[in-house]
Amino acid sequence: MSIGTFIIKNALRNKRRATLSILSVAVSLFLLVFLLVTLRELTLPPEDVGAALRVAVRNKISIANLLPAKQLPAIERVPGVEAVTPFTWYGGRYQNEEGMTFAQFAMDARKLRSVFGEAKMSQPEYEAFETIKDSCIIGKVTAEKYKLKIGDRLTLDSTVYPCTLTFRIVGIYAGTTDDRNMLFHQEYLDDACDNAGWVGMWWLRVSTPDDMPRVIAAVNKAFENTSAEVRAESERAFQLSFISMLGNVRVLIGSISSVVVFTLILVSASTMSMAVRERFRELAILKAIGFRRRELFAFILAESFGLAMAGLLLGAGGAWLLFTNGKIFAAICFGITAIIVGSSVMTIVRRHYSSGVTGLLVAALVARIGLWAFQNPTISKMTNGFFITFEVTPKIVGIAAIVAAGLGIISSIAPAFSVARMSVVSGLKTLD
Amino acid sequence: MKLPIRYNIRNVIVRWRSTLATIIGVALVVAVYILIQSLAAGLEKSGRNTGDPRNLMIVRKGSTAESSSQVNRMQLQTIQYLPQIARDADGKPLISADLVVLVSLPRREGAGEANVTMRGISPKGAELRPQVRLVEGRWFTPGKREAVVSTKMAQRFANTEVGGVFKTGGQELRVVGLFDGGDTAFDSEIWMDADEARSLFDRENYSSALVRMTSPEAAAEFVKRLESDKRLPLRVDPEIAYYSEQTRTSKMFQVIGMFLAVSMSIGAFFAAMNTMYASVGARTREIGTLRVLGFRRRTILLSFIVEGAILAGIGGVIGCAVSFALQSLSVALGWQFGTMSFNTFSEVVFQFRITPQLAVQGLIFAVLVGVVGSLFPAIRASRLPVIAALKVV
Repeated sequence: MSIGTFIIKNALRNKRRATLSILSVAVSLFLLVFLLVTLRELTLPPEDVGAALRVAVRNKISIANLLPAKQLPAIERVPGVEAVTPFTWYGGRYQNEEGMTFAQFAMDARKLRSVFGEAKMSQPEYEAFETIKDSCIIGKVTAEKYKLKIGDRLTLDSTVYPCTLTFRIVGIYAGTTDDRNMLFHQEYLDDACDNAGWVGMWWLRVSTPDDMPRVIAAVNKAFENTSAEVRAESERAFQLSFISMLGNVRVLIGSISSVVVFTLILVSASTMSMAVRERFRELAILKAIGFRRRELFAFILAESFGLAMAGLLLGAGGAWLLFTNGKIFAAICFGITAIIVGSSVMTIVRRHYSSGVTGLLVAALVARIGLWAFQNPTISKMTNGFFITFEVTPKIVGIAAIVAAGLGIISSIAPAFSVARMSVVSGLKTLD
Repeated sequence: MKLPIRYNIRNVIVRWRSTLATIIGVALVVAVYILIQSLAAGLEKSGRNTGDPRNLMIVRKGSTAESSSQVNRMQLQTIQYLPQIARDADGKPLISADLVVLVSLPRREGAGEANVTMRGISPKGAELRPQVRLVEGRWFTPGKREAVVSTKMAQRFANTEVGGVFKTGGQELRVVGLFDGGDTAFDSEIWMDADEARSLFDRENYSSALVRMTSPEAAAEFVKRLESDKRLPLRVDPEIAYYSEQTRTSKMFQVIGMFLAVSMSIGAFFAAMNTMYASVGARTREIGTLRVLGFRRRTILLSFIVEGAILAGIGGVIGCAVSFALQSLSVALGWQFGTMSFNTFSEVVFQFRITPQLAVQGLIFAVLVGVVGSLFPAIRASRLPVIAALKVV
């Protein structure tokens, strides 16, 4: 028997403990990855391709205040501005649905291609949207969620304007980071809701990224000391202002979570060192037959390191799979279910009823998780659209790996010390 | 015959080295669960606290937030002389037409801006809201560019202390007083004169109206009168009901708290299971001895489950203690949390609010982890064959 097999056999000889240790490490690391990704998504939302050329203009008082439509020519005159569209929040409720559904904005349909170029549709769809006044287009995600198709009618009650509008869906777009919005004609809103003269925001496209700072300054200056001062900012800055609104809750959740993950890891470390403590007598024998302290330490380290790495693979790998490809995750879950069911049935046949039933229960749990992942294969489905992307970056995997490695080392230090210090005789005397 | 509980307690204490980590783990699960749920409770409480039972709130039908509601002056004229509205000593109706505008203000620590609810109130506005007390300075003078700020908002936003001047709508507003909202939704607001606000923000209409009723019967009659009038596209709700419905943000915290608690307790559950298995393994001989002495299998089963429950229960108690300590610490240091409300789209402030119910839930959670985690180790212990158990060296 080589040293490697010796270590592996040692690690696995109490299979139940090895499994439980690996699982508790895996759960901790899964949680760690999940929280790190959440915090990252909250601080750095995804960016559209065209963002570098877009400027958002809102009322300086706050985004909830409207802007006069007569500002348009003054903005169009600013050198470097290629296209301008109003962008007005309609706040419509779809079929009495509570909570988050999809956002609707009124805009200038002819400016769609120039300002929001990444929203791709076929040529006839573009043309229909540009010419039909009561038309609207919806994002692919929304279309799929509510089973809407081109030609359908869509009726929305506004919570902002005192009116209810019916739209004709003429196009379904895709290609933005968040294909959920519904876009329609500002003129339709103005006429049908008796809203002449006001828009929510302006969105504009500049010719080159270099023009951006100059355009922003010029637009801000153009309306200084008027009754509707504006705040123009890049799309990125505009997005980040929303994050600032989330307030210190983000910090709170972040700090609670890191304390939690840290402690869960300590718990797993203690469980792992328990495994070694129970083997004192054996280690004393190894010492007696001439193994050095160094070698014993290496045995212990290798074992706990191995367990931690297995936990890492399961936890971080599982998180990565779940967030990026729910279908594969589900397939793996079902595979594991099959294996567990098979072995549980065998256990029951061998009349170990309690472990057999446990196995079946675990199998049911795994299958349930798999089913959930299968039904919600993307992160936006899982979080009901709260997160659109949920990227497990290499950096996050790296952090998880460092934590796991640290865990493997820390949990071997304490037992290694006691093993090193113990005399062979007292080690042999240990009872449990 | 039952095994005394003292036996289990002493076992937990004697093996503290292996039980400590599990106890800490369970304690943290419980503490985090309680703390996050208590944030949701704090948010809900401030909503449910808000309002006077004698008041009715009038907003535009279909609007979901006061800031997107509109009540015009003609509608106000119709409403204000209805006989059901209570009157003050001078015979003036107790009605306040408010203008609610969201203004974006810079935070104190210089970390970006956030929307704040600015409420313009009519002369009767403060009288209609007895929960709000002035604690520093004076009330604003109608017709002047002055504002009073809640003490909690004043801590969070720049230049909102008494004497401070902040800019919005191209104009400067001087802060002349601070008020305490008494843990209501008004704690997240800045108040000024309604008509001054209308001119400042260039608004023709008001957002909402608050009226005091002479009696509950009058209130019912008033609601009927307004709802039957087709010319008035308005919705009337008791003030308390209006604010307590705004719970969307606290739901989010409940979901987050639940998710963290469940996933963490899975980890704690594995740890408890491992500890109990190790405990059973180490006590094989002891269990054999107990069997020889005449204790039955189910007694031993029960005893181990009780031990698991005690183990996790200690963790639960520590977790409760930690969360209560953190709450008192946060009160002592004046911590408060602020986030964007999904209902009003503006900053709401709130605190931890641990209810006895939450503490009990946390404890049940802990004991459950202990019982389930020790179930299989206990079954194993109860099934050890006596002879084999005694033979183990």
